[in-house]
Amino acid sequence: MRRTGVATLACLALTALAAGCGLGSGDAASGDDDEIVIGISLPLTGDFSEPGKGVQRGYEAWADYVNANGGLLGKDVRLVILDDQSNADRVASDYERLINQENVDLIFGPFSTRLVVPAAQVAQDYGFLFVEPAGAADEVFEQGFDNLFYAAPAVADDHYNLLAEHILAMPEDQRPQTAAYATMDDPFAQGTAYGLRDKLAAAGIETVVDEVYPPNTTDFSSIAAQIADSDADIVVGGTQYQDAVNLIVSLRQLGYQPDLAAFSTAPTNPEFPEAIGSQTEGIISPTGYTPDATFEENVAFVEHFTEMHGHAPSEDEANAWTTGEVVAAAVEAAECADPSPECQQELIDFLRDATVDTVVGPLSWDPEGRPQSAHLIQQYVDGEIRIVMPSDAAEAELIYPKPAW
Amino acid sequence: MSGSLLLQTLILGVLLGGLYALLAAGLTLYFGVMRVVMIAHSAFLILAAYLAWFFHQQTGLDPLLSLAVTVPLFFVVGYLMQRGLISRLRPATLTMMSVLLTFAIALAIEGMLGFLFTSTQRRIQLGYSGSSIEFFGARIAVVKLIAFGLAAAALVALFLLLKMTRFGQALRATIQHPEAARLLGVNTDRIAGFGFGLGLATAAIGGTALALDSTIYPSLHWHWIGPLMAIIVVGGLGSIPGAAAAALLLGVTQSLLQLPLGTTWAQTVFYVALFATLLVRPQGFFGGRLAQRF
Amino acid sequence: MPSVSDRAAPAHVDGEAPGRSRFDLTIVGGKVVLAVVLGALVLAFPMMATDAFILSVGVVIASYAAFAVGWNFVGGFTGYISLGHAAYTGLGGYGTALLVLELDLNPWVALVAAAVLVALLAVPIGIASLRVRGASFVIVSIALVLILLLVAQSWASLTGGAQGLRVPRPFGPDVLRPEQHERFFYLNVALVAVALAVWWFIDRSRFGTGLKAIREDEDKAQALGVPTGAYKLAVFVISAFFTALAGGMYALWFGYLDPIFQFSILIGSYMVLMSLLGGIRSLFGPVLGAVVVGYSLEFFKVHYGDSQFHLVALGLLLALVVMFMPDGVIPAIGALVDRFRPQRSSIREMTAEELLAHNASIDDKSAGTATATDDERDLATVPPRSGKDLR
Repeated sequence: MRRTGVATLACLALTALAAGCGLGSGDAASGDDDEIVIGISLPLTGDFSEPGKGVQRGYEAWADYVNANGGLLGKDVRLVILDDQSNADRVASDYERLINQENVDLIFGPFSTRLVVPAAQVAQDYGFLFVEPAGAADEVFEQGFDNLFYAAPAVADDHYNLLAEHILAMPEDQRPQTAAYATMDDPFAQGTAYGLRDKLAAAGIETVVDEVYPPNTTDFSSIAAQIADSDADIVVGGTQYQDAVNLIVSLRQLGYQPDLAAFSTAPTNPEFPEAIGSQTEGIISPTGYTPDATFEENVAFVEHFTEMHGHAPSEDEANAWTTGEVVAAAVEAAECADPSPECQQELIDFLRDATVDTVVGPLSWDPEGRPQSAHLIQQYVDGEIRIVMPSDAAEAELIYPKPAW
Repeated sequence: MSGSLLLQTLILGVLLGGLYALLAAGLTLYFGVMRVVMIAHSAFLILAAYLAWFFHQQTGLDPLLSLAVTVPLFFVVGYLMQRGLISRLRPATLTMMSVLLTFAIALAIEGMLGFLFTSTQRRIQLGYSGSSIEFFGARIAVVKLIAFGLAAAALVALFLLLKMTRFGQALRATIQHPEAARLLGVNTDRIAGFGFGLGLATAAIGGTALALDSTIYPSLHWHWIGPLMAIIVVGGLGSIPGAAAAALLLGVTQSLLQLPLGTTWAQTVFYVALFATLLVRPQGFFGGRLAQRF
Repeated sequence: MPSVSDRAAPAHVDGEAPGRSRFDLTIVGGKVVLAVVLGALVLAFPMMATDAFILSVGVVIASYAAFAVGWNFVGGFTGYISLGHAAYTGLGGYGTALLVLELDLNPWVALVAAAVLVALLAVPIGIASLRVRGASFVIVSIALVLILLLVAQSWASLTGGAQGLRVPRPFGPDVLRPEQHERFFYLNVALVAVALAVWWFIDRSRFGTGLKAIREDEDKAQALGVPTGAYKLAVFVISAFFTALAGGMYALWFGYLDPIFQFSILIGSYMVLMSLLGGIRSLFGPVLGAVVVGYSLEFFKVHYGDSQFHLVALGLLLALVVMFMPDGVIPAIGALVDRFRPQRSSIREMTAEELLAHNASIDDKSAGTATATDDERDLATVPPRSGKDLR
């Protein structure tokens, strides 16, 4: 009995303490005239934490750069970043909190299509402009959001366009005949792989394996066994990060050697080579960004970022920086940066018709928010990531067939 | 579906089944000794995997060497858990409350792992991670073979311990009939504690085996709870060989079903088997005379 | 001196009223006041919320309360602990969403229709699951929610798979988001009220008594003629219905369904924790538990969001409750209150001579009328063990 009483009091005391601390952030600087507050929710933990942290670095680098160069509309930029733990319900409540409690002036989008859709809904409900660095799947643009802009060159389906063109342009005897596809059940990953699959299949390259696996799958032995057994000429992975690593390791364990291997997202990650045992030669990936691009904005970006972090930026950081640039362009054109629906609508209207110069080149969008440029194709050549397509940006020649891994 | 694919899948199933068997053996021990359904077993599995990964990351040595630390550590933790927590539950609702309590422990472990290591997915990269051995046209990955060997060795050791040593006899007596064991002078409380520690030690071995070839992240244990529950229900909780047999059977079935059905649907085989067993023969199929209806 | 063995009404003792004591009346009065105050607070919450974010947190907590009350039909009455009850919230959510999307039903009609469908589905599920008890039942419930998770993830053509399903808003686009939060808050509160009313009715009925008998000792209840199978199934279906309603309402409010969150063991464990913490056998227990746990979860996520610390806290809280307070907070508070109740002892506090005198006086009173009953005589025929004999 005494134990029960003590335990009860302990529980109540704990929660009373919690109640005393409350949920509100006491010192939300609302409408502080000296600075522009930008609210962001990112997956810093959970499934998307790797690229999520990359996006965070990109945003912070951008804010740092802007503040070092006179600020936005003469004011300093301050980022408020919340962690949504890669949860869809968390991201919605994060943006609610940013808009209602933190009273942010502007918002930037989160990472991953799965998180972008609920977040865009919140933004739409409050009339905010929503520029996002990472929602590229078709689904995002079909929801009827009129405030959404994707800050990268092309949508998921078109990521492999240049590679498809190249393969189909090969002479008959060199061209691959069969292809195996393994994609995560994720709108972005599937978008990239199926975009390529549909183009290749239409031209007669047979799809011999087409597997979809749920996120968080760790055991790829069965899928790898099927791919190895089919002995497909090329393997295409619609992947995030860890699944690509696991799939590649499983394929190597089974002794499968394709002529061409393409994976989305994973090969652009700096830890990728170490994770798969450094046998990266020839692995292809679509990318929206290369640090060696000669755009003026990019040179400044790479310089600033390398100064801050000691190494060149990669795609996630670049997408984040691009987002910042796009919003900044709108803000400077509309000359306002506050949460009011009028200002936000002006920003939206400006971007609808504009072409903004960014680190990935000039960007413009269709009425649903799809960008109109093309993604680059990168490949590991001599242990380094090199752009191989399009030819005017190519740093190295495409290696085909791929050396053994 | 070609013969080579079938063989390959069969081999993968057997290798997987070996690991399942080791884990199921641990669960059998918990239930036999204390009538406790230990949902946290898979959480401890992942904890052991993380420790192996951490060891490898910090020292660069082969993660198998971490067994020297984790096995005794988990044994002690298991003993303390049984004596300190589980034995304090009211006997009337012991089984059900033990489910909740061990569930709470599993959550706490997941939280701590996430807190300490973040939810970034981790994988041990060894020099021999990608190499494999040829076997009648199929390829067996070296790491999977090592994991299987580890599991098999642990199972054999466990079996010998239970059959050949006095401690093992006392443990089996406690499992069979605690009161009679007490009458014969067996200190059932302490033996129960040791039994629990033994179960957790198998989790240590299983976790290290898992870490060799798998990606680990804190919420991975949910992935393993379903299959493990199904295995102990189908296998029945009377005997370790029984649980091992059920584990192998289900592992191979899952692997084979992945071919026509795909990875996700194939996982449903565990739950289907669980429901079917509870409907048809609630005490399980491989339990023998000691099968319990729990 | 009064004694609980007395069948006759106890004599006045030091100014205490006969029948219900003054203490009891005070407690009842206090409860009524508390209920009115809390009820008013709940209804006024949307006005008091400082911004839309707090309001959305309130909606989540109200939603959790609905989940917990729905769960408590099975857990509280029958004692069957279901860790996988999120299966029904998920089914309710997806059911509502699919009925709206595929069949173009009015969202509210879809909500109720989905709940009814889930209740129907719960019949065969219940028949299969309720065959087993205790830990087996827990395992079966976990297995159910996990298998539904797998199905929802794989059957992408129906459920949208891991990519999620977007649920259209039930209120038109001109209803602003904060207003929407407010409406759903009241809707959830109404659902909780209805569920509590049903719970209260069951509690006082024969059905309820039968269920409680099942909870205490199922075999004996069956031996005594309680139709255990039918009763268990009935309350299981009721529970599934209310839980599915709550799940469907959440789907309509949140607007986006992801299998991992709809069929999550974690949500199921929240329901268990809330009801256990609050008091599994009391009417308002689950609601109290929902407020406490829901608030704490938000608190931990806001302040420690970066880490998974809230899981550790949840685990610790659950362990604490299971080990020390399996009956919950409200009964524990009840026990604390009882400590202050004036003593009603069951130990006889009169000596043997006093007892004889008491019985003699009763005999005198009823002399001439019917013979004194055995109770009144109070074993006066048994030779008294007076103090002298015990020396």
